[in-house]
Amino acid sequence: MPKITIDNKEVECRAGIPVLQAALEAGWDVPHYCYHPGLSIVASCRLCLMEMMMPDPKTKEMVWSPKLAPSCQTPVRDGLVVRFDSDRVRHNQDICMEFFLLNHPLDCPVCDQAGECYLQDYSYKFGRPYSRMMDQKLVNPKKDIGPRTLLYQDRCVMCSRCVRFTDEISGTNELCLVNRGSRTEIDVFPGKPLDNPLQGNVVDICPVGSLLDKDFLFKRRVWELTGTPSVCPTCATGCSIRIDHADNTIYRLKPRHNPKVNQWWICDEGRFNFKYVQDAKRIAAPLVRRGSETSCPDWNDLPQIIRFRLEEHVREKGDQTVAAVFSPFMACEEAWLLARFIRSVAPQATLVLGPIPMVGEDQRFPVGTTNGDAKFTILREKCPNRRGVGLVLTSLGGPSLEFEPFVEQCKKGAFSAAWIVGGYPTPWVSKDTAKIAEGFEFLIVQDIFENELMAGAAIILPACAWTEREGSFMNAAGILQPFDRAITPPEGAKRDGQFLFDMAGYSGLYMGDRVRAMMAADIPGFAEAYVPPPEPPFAH
Amino acid sequence: MASFEPVLLRNLGVENSRSVRVYESRGGYQAARKALKMTPDEVVEEVKKANLRGRGGAGFPAGVKWTFLPKDRTRTLLCVNADESEPPTFNNRVLMESDPHQLIEGTIIAAYATRAQIAYVYMRVEFHEQFHILQRAIDEAYAAGYLGEKIFGTDYCLECYVHRGAGAYVCGEETGLIESLEGKRGWPRIKPPFPAVEGLFRRPTVVNNVETLCCVPHIIERGANWFTSIGPPHSTGPKLFCISGPVNRPGCYESPMTITVRELIEREDMGGGMLKGKRVKAVLPGGASMGVLTAAELDMKMDFEDPRKYGLLGLGTAAAVVVDESVDLRGVLRNLTRFYGTESCGQCTQCREGTAWMYKIATRIAMDAGRLEDLDIILETSRNMGMMPGLSICGLPDGATYPIETLIKKFRGELEAAIRAQPPDRAERVLKVLN
Ligand SMILES: Cc1cc2nc3c(=O)[nH]c(=O)nc-3n(C[C@H](O)[C@H](O)[C@H](O)COP(=O)(O)O)c2cc1C
Ligand code: SF4
Ligand code: SF4
Ligand code: FES
Repeated sequence: MPKITIDNKEVECRAGIPVLQAALEAGWDVPHYCYHPGLSIVASCRLCLMEMMMPDPKTKEMVWSPKLAPSCQTPVRDGLVVRFDSDRVRHNQDICMEFFLLNHPLDCPVCDQAGECYLQDYSYKFGRPYSRMMDQKLVNPKKDIGPRTLLYQDRCVMCSRCVRFTDEISGTNELCLVNRGSRTEIDVFPGKPLDNPLQGNVVDICPVGSLLDKDFLFKRRVWELTGTPSVCPTCATGCSIRIDHADNTIYRLKPRHNPKVNQWWICDEGRFNFKYVQDAKRIAAPLVRRGSETSCPDWNDLPQIIRFRLEEHVREKGDQTVAAVFSPFMACEEAWLLARFIRSVAPQATLVLGPIPMVGEDQRFPVGTTNGDAKFTILREKCPNRRGVGLVLTSLGGPSLEFEPFVEQCKKGAFSAAWIVGGYPTPWVSKDTAKIAEGFEFLIVQDIFENELMAGAAIILPACAWTEREGSFMNAAGILQPFDRAITPPEGAKRDGQFLFDMAGYSGLYMGDRVRAMMAADIPGFAEAYVPPPEPPFAH
Repeated sequence: MASFEPVLLRNLGVENSRSVRVYESRGGYQAARKALKMTPDEVVEEVKKANLRGRGGAGFPAGVKWTFLPKDRTRTLLCVNADESEPPTFNNRVLMESDPHQLIEGTIIAAYATRAQIAYVYMRVEFHEQFHILQRAIDEAYAAGYLGEKIFGTDYCLECYVHRGAGAYVCGEETGLIESLEGKRGWPRIKPPFPAVEGLFRRPTVVNNVETLCCVPHIIERGANWFTSIGPPHSTGPKLFCISGPVNRPGCYESPMTITVRELIEREDMGGGMLKGKRVKAVLPGGASMGVLTAAELDMKMDFEDPRKYGLLGLGTAAAVVVDESVDLRGVLRNLTRFYGTESCGQCTQCREGTAWMYKIATRIAMDAGRLEDLDIILETSRNMGMMPGLSICGLPDGATYPIETLIKKFRGELEAAIRAQPPDRAERVLKVLN
């Protein structure tokens, strides 16, 4: 590991990174716009400049070079001595900030980015509080550059991150630069809007309020939002995300840096896949049917009711008539708790992994990448936890079935009691599957939305969306990643994990890591969950 | 001095000088034949010995530049910089119009010396006629076997293409040129890697100016010693000088680098004195980007070293524009700032915003609405950009700084007087309208 000296402090850094990255990782707040660790280096914003020790051409003595050097373009090497804490560096930051604001409309009060804007932050910290330009500003109205994104050109700092993203990551090249000098603009080609499956990332990497998400536009001030770390459930890639919410409402999803999975990016499909959570049609209260009678029991009574009736069934029909269907949207912990419960009542119960939604083909980026060089992959497997739930089921052993054979067996009357968990964001019960609803004597259906199986259900349980739950998903690459709950479920529903915790006979508060620790005693695969390291505080 | 025989312009005015036949009849292509019998390294050595400094503006020795190419390279590319976009400059144009084969011959020798197999001539788009002249000459050279396969019957092959720019000053900067040649936006590249190591299409690349290359055949033919015998030791060889503005004979003239600005203006065989007896107020002697001289500084020598003594950036393109007494310097300031403001590529913050801001201020000053502090803001802004303090990627803002800074510093009294002579509340009123 090379050692460099920044502002008289020795810093050990990863080999091969730029000084800027090393300084950020060591806690320095070095202002920068064009540098992004996931994109090529262009060193054009000239904001990250530093002073560097160089041998004097004549005396060979080490002196501060008369030239400032871009810290983003200078790779670390052992013994390098640099400083940011100097008048010349500060002067450059000061003039840069003045320059960035020359033509800026200063419309922070109506700008979505306010509060998370690096023009604001840097102006405050490194800039001057007034502008000396008395002349007219360039006026550059906003442009509709795509179905989901707006461009406010006059707020742009011309870092070209967005252009490089569409060139280097999505490979779709919709964005380009037109005109020259201070009239340079970001634009799209006529008839070719910014519309690719990764386009939302340009909004994230835009350091200012120039590129904005239409979906979030004018919805909420960002400082009112709380961010909760989570994992995207939309496909088996399992990108790290942050759920931004306020007043128990989700406003947007943002990527979190995860060096093992998604780097800095997420796809649009995942980004906007939270609307169903707030759908008014969600089931919010449990329902129990006995004969023609229905009742809405208290959640506290439900474990007893269910256990009693299932035990009754096992006594009458035998435990091999019992099955449980696990959704690939369940957390590993939830699956384990449910399986423990079922097997505790019916040791020979059959465990079934629910249907795995497969849509289209895997999409690799930059577009046209076919082999392992992809910088981002959207998988056709549209669920987060096939591997985690699968691992729980196989580890527990005993009878198990795939979903299709299970449906066939049901039609033949092999099972008369079942607990079926849904939780899919879209309708998942096919016509064929719906036929099995009538065949059960005791059927528990747990889902977010009403489904066709509920017609035959003795007990209907509202399930929670992943934003309301806590646990872990295992992605397609076998990486186990925990997610936190961001919001509370709709009035009347109860968090699946807590309910199943109660069902399985535990008392107290359900906590993902606690359950994981219990699971790990039997299943080593759950011993360690991967939490990506936090990004340096001043990196962006 | 009058005994100086033109070298680069020796075919100027000769009938049909653009044809390969006439060129050869006057000794053309002998140098290339000779060079191809030498080893490439011998050619490089000879050019190095001649101390041929680049004519494109920076004055870097061409032979030394060629030695920066990696020894183990497999392919080299040569770019001929025919972008000539520096404002009052037209020496490359004259060379290509009058003697295109001289450029082709220089290109062949330089390509051979650097072991390049492809040469690209990057030509500014405004050169319509010159493009056709050069293209015709290249076609002739191909037909004669001087380009293409087995040149002069040797094993050496060279393809030569002309690529036309799209009208950007910054595409004359060597890495802007390279990006543009690659079909991209002409945004200069960050260095390192330098073009000699990783240039066009990521290959080792040499970029040389048209005039630089036109000197090469003469060095090979007559030897480095002959070349160094012309002009002072730091500025060897013949040089083209352009003179424009209110002089009697605006044009392009050849001379050793021993002449002064005054001689360039006054000499009968050059500028021929001021038009209608006007008096010089200022001169921009090296294109727009090198800086401004006052009438008292006309004894500056037009060589690579002397301009620095006068606070200028360098010799530049050795193209002088004369500003006469009747000119309002506020107009000069506005004109200069406009050029850099519209030609900055827009990549680096300081250059993009600084040049445009200076233009806005200069425009207002020219509208009789300046403030005295505006001159300070311009001066400060011009110090806050440029490659030399490490603030920018390319040298364009340095070229913007020098003329603007020297103009304000050397003519501050006159500019301030003009501002003081404005109607008293005009600046305030204009600013109110603007805001
Ligand atoms: C903004 C800018 C514009 C330039 N324009 C030209 C040009 O039009 N023609 C040219 O030959 N060199 C131009 N140069 C200089 C080139 O970068 C480069 O130094 C030159 O082509 C090298 O050739 P030489 O060594 O033969 O002079 C320009 C440089 C800058 C910074
Ligand atoms: S729109 Fe945003 S990301 Fe794109 S160049 Fe401008 S500031 Fe940078
Ligand atoms: S210094 Fe100016 S012209 Fe040169 S690359 Fe930067 S912005 Fe472009
Ligand atoms: S120049 Fe280093 S971050 Fe932009």
